[in-house]
Amino acid sequence: MNPPLPAEALRLRCDPAQFEFATTAELADLDAALGQERALGAIEFGVGMRNEGYNLFAMGPEGIGRRTIVRRHLEAQAKTLPPPSDWCYVFNFKAPHKPRAQRLPAGQAPAFRDSMARLVEELRTAVPAAFETDEYRNRRQQIEAELGERQERVLGEFGERAKAQNIALIRTPTGFGFGPMSGEAVMEPEEYRKLPAAEQKRLEELVTRLQEELERVLHDLPKWRRESMRKLRELNREVTRAAVNSALEEVKAEYRALPEVQDYLAEVQEDMLENAEAFRASKDGEPVTLFGIPVARADAPEATLRRYAVNVLIEHSGAAGAPIVFEDNPSHDALLGRIEHLSQMGALVTDFTLIKAGALHRANGGYLVIDALKLLAQPFAWDALKRALRSREIRTQSLGQALSLVSTVSLEPEPIPLEVKVVLVGQRLHYYLLHAYDPEFAALFKVAVDFEEDMPRGPQNDLLYARVVAAFGRKEGLRPLEGAAVARVIEQGARDAGDAAKLSVSMQALADLLREADYWAAKAGRAAISAQDVQRAVDAQVERLDRVRQRLLENVLRGSQLIDTAGARSGQVNGLAMAQLGGFAFGIPQRITARVRLGSGGVVDIERESELGGPIHSKGVLILSGYLSGRYAPGRPLSLSASLVFEQNYGGIEGDSASSAELYALLSSLAEAPVRQSLAVTGSVNQHGDVQAIGGVNEKVEGFFDLCKARGLAGGQGVLIPRANEQHLMLREEVVAAVAEGKFAVYAVGTVDEGIELLTGVPALEVHARVEARLSEFAERARAYATGLGGKPWQKAKKK
Amino acid sequence: MAEGEEEVRIARIIACFAPGSAGSPEAVARLAAEMQAELLGLFIEDVELLRFAALPFAAEVGFPSAARRSVDLAGLERQLHAQAAGLRQALATALDPTAVSWSFRVARASPENAVEAALAEGYAPALIIPPRGNPRAERRVLRRPEISEEALRALLRSVQPVLILPA
Repeated sequence: MNPPLPAEALRLRCDPAQFEFATTAELADLDAALGQERALGAIEFGVGMRNEGYNLFAMGPEGIGRRTIVRRHLEAQAKTLPPPSDWCYVFNFKAPHKPRAQRLPAGQAPAFRDSMARLVEELRTAVPAAFETDEYRNRRQQIEAELGERQERVLGEFGERAKAQNIALIRTPTGFGFGPMSGEAVMEPEEYRKLPAAEQKRLEELVTRLQEELERVLHDLPKWRRESMRKLRELNREVTRAAVNSALEEVKAEYRALPEVQDYLAEVQEDMLENAEAFRASKDGEPVTLFGIPVARADAPEATLRRYAVNVLIEHSGAAGAPIVFEDNPSHDALLGRIEHLSQMGALVTDFTLIKAGALHRANGGYLVIDALKLLAQPFAWDALKRALRSREIRTQSLGQALSLVSTVSLEPEPIPLEVKVVLVGQRLHYYLLHAYDPEFAALFKVAVDFEEDMPRGPQNDLLYARVVAAFGRKEGLRPLEGAAVARVIEQGARDAGDAAKLSVSMQALADLLREADYWAAKAGRAAISAQDVQRAVDAQVERLDRVRQRLLENVLRGSQLIDTAGARSGQVNGLAMAQLGGFAFGIPQRITARVRLGSGGVVDIERESELGGPIHSKGVLILSGYLSGRYAPGRPLSLSASLVFEQNYGGIEGDSASSAELYALLSSLAEAPVRQSLAVTGSVNQHGDVQAIGGVNEKVEGFFDLCKARGLAGGQGVLIPRANEQHLMLREEVVAAVAEGKFAVYAVGTVDEGIELLTGVPALEVHARVEARLSEFAERARAYATGLGGKPWQKAKKK
Repeated sequence: MAEGEEEVRIARIIACFAPGSAGSPEAVARLAAEMQAELLGLFIEDVELLRFAALPFAAEVGFPSAARRSVDLAGLERQLHAQAAGLRQALATALDPTAVSWSFRVARASPENAVEAALAEGYAPALIIPPRGNPRAERRVLRRPEISEEALRALLRSVQPVLILPA
């Protein structure tokens, strides 16, 4: 019969004596990611590859420091790169609804914006001043006088011609009329009526002819007026040109090396000449109001002058390298930027100054880090990001515009060339799902950065781990840890890894443990964190999450849930299940029973029949049929009907870790060999009867230990675990102590034979013999039924 | 400022307005406020115009539209009345907030008779702004006795304001 495992095999201790330091204050920082060589290599490769599509997907579970590691590497790389260009949006004079993207060397955009604002401000003084000069006033009067004189001369000549025919030209409020003269004045109506009809007719015809002539003359007047206006415009342009050129020269000189800016300034110059009136309008005019509320006017001079503004979209003043942007809210607009609107007379209007940068603008020329799940959860954000990466340009447009939901006139800003390395941080599931279901994903995210969850344990790695602990403590301002405390932290790291030979690299769990241990050390008034403080932190973590486990244990202790920890009973085994609630895992003993009878139904899994068992659990039970047939009835039909059940299980069961316990219950029932209830069992089994490894071995052992301890450790209690799980044992100190004192035992078993001997106290061969005999008896009886009754007895019974 | 005007304080500005050229009441008002002179707005309904409108075939050619349309006396009078009211309102708006003393009158006469009547009221020296005159243009200076009816007619056709000094 298997001996129990020695106490020292139940927990691989970290010997504090191996550390040559008293506290972690003596240790140098370790600025490295432990156990992440593969991920680091992938990051280095991905960051170094400048080709298209070599974006990164950093995958792994939460809390292992993916973002920190990525950030550290990106920061190191970003320092070696030059800051990218600044980008502005300026007015497009050729197509106002398509604002022009203007590139400027890093850090120069704000100066350009200020130069343009200064230019406009200067012109608001200089242009009106130019129009106030005597030169301008005189030339303008000359033009106006020319027009007036020309008109008066023509009308005067016309009047003289009419007068020569004894007809007066009379100015009316809205034009000119003709009336026959009597002497020097217009003829009185009575006098006119007294004239002979022939004379009246002659005068009327004369007046009509003159009117027609005047019409022809007046037709030319608008042409003269236009000519005069053109001259006036030319004069205005000339005066404005002098003021604009003088002010613009300075700005042009400043940006002489930038041809694109020169082009823009040339357009500005031309446009300013066209819109000189805007500079001449008063700044402080009467504001337009609607029901007393000031409203902006699209045609106001201020609105016209806005076109010379520079909207600095993104600038890199003082930047030492390429940007790294962590976008926490990767919505469509947050990535691509947005176009804001202003309310104007009840309508929403916009212009190029209302274009706002998105994360892609800010990260352009550098790196953008996004949480994959958050990105996928935002409507259309994933598609927008892919589109930008594929086209290598940022096209800012609202979601409504992109989906053609908004049909009002809006802006179509010129796209900005995109050169960015995107790092998505997510879980492995997301990576594999995207890879499987999104054909573009593989082309755009070629670099998988797969983070490890643990690292091998050993003296060298223990020391490295201690340095990580030291570095973190210093960074967070925590107390230094004593060597024993570090050893305890390392042991907890192995426990978190679920493997005595491994250390968890979950930085989140480590950080929480260290901060909480520091808290307890402070409470105890210690200058350094001791092993007790670490243990206290671990215990307190468990205690805070322990309520459900306590209630389940209470149910067993009060007899609501039937679990025996003493005595023996056929067909009844203590199995061990594991529950995970809110990040806290714990083991729960579970009674498994088996009943057998004559039949040909094989093994019935009541959990599956009642739809409480998951597929893996069902698979485990089906394997039992394979074992029984192969082991006991290779050459004949198995005349057995057996039922298996997890007693008092109402919440479903999944996994095959109880299949060995189920097999022991079956064998016990068939062999009528009572099973010791002081033992609990975990482990899956294959068709050959080999016991296989399971997960959560530590929690399961401790789950049964807690029950036995609550009832009083009698000495014969213990747990059977698969031998393959021996290496994973990192049990609690009190379990190890109980084993050392002989009050509890952990048995490692490799086969069903080893297990059944321990559970029944009956040699395995005898158990098998009894089972075989029972099955033979079933077979004989079945045959007898078949011969005597001409059919299968259970079928007959059914018919009856 | 014209020669000989330096020491003169203008007592009254006679701003003439005619139906065909309403001028700029605001500019006139500003000038009166600057000079602290009394302002008389004189809207002259030229009798020649009224006589013309009473003719049976009276028609006008619009300026600058060059559109021909008939004219009747009643319509013209309504037009004149509205124009006069508009001018009075414009002057009130510009001058009521100031301390300038002002009045407005509609005269149905020939322009020279209407101005002559206004000059006869005294208030020398007076500045006459012709109907199409520019209040800020260079002024002519004349003494009251030098002004014949013919000369006054010519002055009122000009754009130059005329400063009338007493004898």
